[in-house]
Amino acid sequence: MALVNIQNLTYKYPLTKTPALQNINLQIEQGEFISVIGANGAGKSTLCYALAGFVPHFFKGEISGEIEVDGVASSKSTLDEWVVNVGLAFQNPFNQISGAKYTVFEEIAFGLENAGVPREQMQSRVEEAMKLTGISNLADRSPYSLSGGQQQRVALTSILVMQPKLLVLDEPTSQMDPIGTREVFSVIHNLTQSGMTVVMVEHKVEWIAHFATRVIALKDGSILTEGKPGDVLTSDVLTKNGFGVSRYTSVAREAKKQGLWKKEKLPVTLFEAAEGFNRNA
Amino acid sequence: MHERLSFYIKRDSVIHRLNPLTKLVLVFAFIGVAFTFPWYWMSLSLFLFVLIPLAFVAKVSREYFFTATRLILPAAGFLFLMQALFQPIGEEIIFQFYFLDATRESLAFAFTIAARIIVMISAFTLLLLTTHPSELMSDLTRRGLPGQFAYVIISTLQILPQMQAKAQTIIAAQRSRGLDTESTFLKRAGSVLPLVGPLVFGSLVEVEERAIAIEARGFTSKKEKTSLHEVPDTVTDKTIRWVLIILIILSISLNLWL
Ligand SMILES: Nc1ncnc2c1ncn2[C@@H]1O[C@H](COP(=O)(O)OP(=O)(O)O)[C@@H](O)[C@H]1O
Ligand SMILES: [Mg+2]
Repeated sequence: MALVNIQNLTYKYPLTKTPALQNINLQIEQGEFISVIGANGAGKSTLCYALAGFVPHFFKGEISGEIEVDGVASSKSTLDEWVVNVGLAFQNPFNQISGAKYTVFEEIAFGLENAGVPREQMQSRVEEAMKLTGISNLADRSPYSLSGGQQQRVALTSILVMQPKLLVLDEPTSQMDPIGTREVFSVIHNLTQSGMTVVMVEHKVEWIAHFATRVIALKDGSILTEGKPGDVLTSDVLTKNGFGVSRYTSVAREAKKQGLWKKEKLPVTLFEAAEGFNRNA
Repeated sequence: MHERLSFYIKRDSVIHRLNPLTKLVLVFAFIGVAFTFPWYWMSLSLFLFVLIPLAFVAKVSREYFFTATRLILPAAGFLFLMQALFQPIGEEIIFQFYFLDATRESLAFAFTIAARIIVMISAFTLLLLTTHPSELMSDLTRRGLPGQFAYVIISTLQILPQMQAKAQTIIAAQRSRGLDTESTFLKRAGSVLPLVGPLVFGSLVEVEERAIAIEARGFTSKKEKTSLHEVPDTVTDKTIRWVLIILIILSISLNLWL
């Protein structure tokens, strides 16, 4: 059975006329790394909130359909039960710092304190999680003194330490510089390698092509298309609907019109492009 | 950015080792006695003969005097002037400033208020200097203080310096776009208005995001919370607390009785 099962999900924020999510059907298997793309206002964050239980338990509004994680329905659960299974991290690393803790170590332990984990276990779980994300050396620093990339890894660690079954990440690298982006991606990559299921909203198509196992394109609250990164990210549907594509895809598409790109499939990454053009020669 | 967001100075002293609640009761004892004890010189004596020595015992005298000269004494001085000049009491005028005059009574009143304020802020300063905020909060939540309440206090203590830093960033950004923040007061007041929007609206969005972030870590979980820090509470602590409470009651009764 799929880890996540979304059936006919439609959701409207309070006081709005058009639904932010419209008739979403989605199954996610254990171990998938799903990347969600879409324009501003397409409903990406709302989908994340729905997966993480914040829709409808935090944002009220009208909801129909059902979200199940690990066989449990969101509507039959409470938010504090739900967050134990589904971890959520988002864009601004600064706003994810609890503000109640003075060191990174304490910050990461915050969720465990709330969950009532005994003190003896807390120590080792925090240490383990920090090792996983490579931030053990930051344990005694103030969370506020860190760089964006470091803060985002602290936010990720704070969620991971709760041992969720599903990790939902809403644009975690959009405020990062290239170094921060690399740091965050490498952590997430390691996690998926160890079997974690991840749903991640991300715009950096080349990174997606590298890591994701499936891409979902949202438009106006509905799923426009989904499939393997290589197929979805080069499809005409995306270009027609105004999605940004990789520059290598654009170049190859242009080249194809002039007969310079011979392969059927268009590239997304530099590597694929170089390889394809090389084969032409 | 700010590495140090709390006042706390990590040192090893008798005061540091006291249980946080004991220190909190001590603060309230200072306030209680300063505000109720019916002796004119009580507050000043507390300040000179108890609080200052306590700062030395706690090994934070340097930091305490720094706060005292930068914050406590100026605040008390300002309060003293306002009270002395604006309190419409007394007959015997000591000096005049345009239409305002200070009488013997208003001076005495101003002195009492100012001395009490000094005691109050000093006591809090010593508490903050010698107590790790996380320990204070985990001790209080363990004793039944609602988690939400503790969170509001501690995050406010942390967020103030950040708000300040952010205001600076916005000012710098607006100034680089030609906003005038350095001329006359009225002009500045007018030109600072555009800063309020980003600061307040930004804060509202941040509040929502932060609420989601802490909610995502089970903040409102109905489970009984545990705490990373173990905060010791000794028999000495309990004894001191009872003595202080009796002292507060005594001071209040004396005040009512006399
Ligand atoms: N808190 C809210 N209240 C009302 N409407 C909202 C709220 N948050 C988002 N929306 C609306 O829902 C739609 C989807 O938004 P969102 O999920 O944030 O999109 P994305 O993350 O893809 O940019 C948008 O039309 C947006 O205006
Ligand atoms: Mg969004």
